[in-house]
Amino acid sequence: MRQDFIKFPLHLIVHPFDSFWDMKYEGKGKVRVALTILLLVVISMILKDQFAGFLVNYNDPRHLNSITQLFTIIFPFFLWCLSNWAITTLMDGEGKFKEIMMATAYALVPIVIIYVPMILASRFMAEEETAFYYLMMTISSVWFVALLFVGIMTVHQYTVLKTVITMLLTVIVMGIVVFLGTLVLSMLQQIIEFFVNIYRELIFRT
Amino acid sequence: MIAKKWLLSLMAASLLIVYAAPAPAHADSAPYESYNYNYWEEAVPAPAAYIPDRTLSGKDLGVGDFREPGDMAVAASGLIYIADSGNGRIICLDPDWKVVKVINSFDNQGAEDTFKNPSGLYITEDGNLYVADTDNGRVVILSPEGELLGMVEKPASDILPADFKFIPVKVTVDQAERVYVIAKGIFEGIMQFDKNGEFIGYVGTNKVQRDYAEYLWRLVSTKAQKAQMALFVPTEFSNIDVDAKGFLYATNIDPGSKEPVKRLNPSGEDVLKRFGYFDIKGDITYRTAVGSSKFTDIKVLANGMYSALDANQGKVFTYNDEGDLLYVYGGKGNQTGTFKIPVAVEFSQGNQLVLDRGKGNIVIFKPTRFGTSVNEAVGYHYNGEDTLAVPVWREVLKLNSNYDIAYIGIGKSLLMDKKNKEALKYFKLGMDRDGYSVAFKRYRREVMQEHFGTFLTAVTILVLAWLSYKLFSFWRRKRRLTASRQASPNLKEGNAHEAGFH
Repeated sequence: MRQDFIKFPLHLIVHPFDSFWDMKYEGKGKVRVALTILLLVVISMILKDQFAGFLVNYNDPRHLNSITQLFTIIFPFFLWCLSNWAITTLMDGEGKFKEIMMATAYALVPIVIIYVPMILASRFMAEEETAFYYLMMTISSVWFVALLFVGIMTVHQYTVLKTVITMLLTVIVMGIVVFLGTLVLSMLQQIIEFFVNIYRELIFRT
Repeated sequence: MIAKKWLLSLMAASLLIVYAAPAPAHADSAPYESYNYNYWEEAVPAPAAYIPDRTLSGKDLGVGDFREPGDMAVAASGLIYIADSGNGRIICLDPDWKVVKVINSFDNQGAEDTFKNPSGLYITEDGNLYVADTDNGRVVILSPEGELLGMVEKPASDILPADFKFIPVKVTVDQAERVYVIAKGIFEGIMQFDKNGEFIGYVGTNKVQRDYAEYLWRLVSTKAQKAQMALFVPTEFSNIDVDAKGFLYATNIDPGSKEPVKRLNPSGEDVLKRFGYFDIKGDITYRTAVGSSKFTDIKVLANGMYSALDANQGKVFTYNDEGDLLYVYGGKGNQTGTFKIPVAVEFSQGNQLVLDRGKGNIVIFKPTRFGTSVNEAVGYHYNGEDTLAVPVWREVLKLNSNYDIAYIGIGKSLLMDKKNKEALKYFKLGMDRDGYSVAFKRYRREVMQEHFGTFLTAVTILVLAWLSYKLFSFWRRKRRLTASRQASPNLKEGNAHEAGFH
């Protein structure tokens, strides 16, 4: 339990090459850990918007909505995993969907471990010190991207160049998925409307 | 007993009178909706700062209807001058709206001379009257008695083209008697003349804003197409005023500009303070069909405040010297207090006056309790008397609890009184992050100083506790180690014994 939930993720963020290898071939990653990390990311994002210090918090408190935030993280996460899986299947990637999901989720760990203390620290910062807050936020994002890069590379056993290309393609595929999704939804809506109209017509005729 | 009864009935009657008294004039009596912008750039309803008191047309004054009046100016003596452009005359009124005189003509070297469409006016401290005599292409300078003192005519200068036409529209004079003229068709800036009427040069050119989309479009279009397109030219200024320090306040009509109001220093640089939440450009949010504000007049008020007149929506926006929007009043329409084509805003005896060219009348706005309080508090703050401003700001907050500037004002005063914790609360309510940061830093230091001893003691105790724990566990481990070392030979023996059994 402690090994899975604490030691391995913390080891992973500093030794990504070894750890992603272990995750793939030694079975060290767990889906439930991945989902927990995802949940923690959502929670830390919500905490950040709600409780970050006044000097760094530019959110309008009237428009904060935890449900929306939940979806703005969960949805892109699965969209990314799905698109990456779709594209790597075509590009000789060795990773399974489960592995892609785990790699992405484990890469999010720096966000959790940097955000939470920084939210607390930001409440005690003066304006000049907020630069430090933004620096740490940037570091967490860069760290996340680097880990994601290593993760995708290891999971699919790709070269560096191929990883970069795949990641860019994944972003494009995400766009295509969203587009198709909207298209299907609007079509469905029109079909439903059509049947509703027929029903109405029948009701009024008789 | 009877006296008591009487007293009781009297009290009841007085209560009745109090309740039956008509509600005092407040926001509802204005024909427009008053609002101000909050930190999130939303227009939030606010009490009216000025409400229309009365309107005055030329007929009301007994001088016949105004025809397209162009400008209005108030002298230091309180006299009000109106340029009745269409009738080619200047009307002089006293502060109580009695006609003092009507200037139809003046004596120009023995001959009688008249105005032709005078559309700009300025009155100096000494009461000298400067008239932008637009269609005659000159600025006429008259003494308070109406004698001709001089004229500024079409300048001769190397930097002006030969076919230059001088069409002065607005005029302003500074303390050194330099004359600033906004002329039609001049994009270079405000024309500056010395006191003898010699042309000095331009000040405060508006910068050309390049539209990159149009620039790209230009790259691919032919010569003939290019000729059809509008040129990239700087916009013209629309009006000017001068403050007590000799700085020029100028407005320009440039749709999409973020800086339609400028405060020009003597070398022509824009030094307007823009410390407010948003740009000084009138309405922040507006419907695209309506468009942004178009400032056609600006009036410098006391204590660094200034009012700008938006001809597009017929509103007057008043800012303080730091660029915070204080209040907005006015609107377009046909009721009293709304305008058709407002052209000039002035200030006289606590009232604001707006000249409406379309209706040919003057609307007099009187301040409400809210407006008076805001003006008073801004004045105190401008003069550095923040402690005096606090009760007034509290009064303002009673009338409008959404008024961020009041919270910031109180916060600043509390900060000066070293009440840092309370100041924090007010700065947060006013969404002033800079003030908040200063107050927070002081408060943090205060707390640290106060609790440094406690903090250090706690740390020392913790360190000592940790050290003793470490020592204790080390000692215990050592004891166990020696104990197990003593026991180990027996254990080995036991194992061997066990092995032997197997």
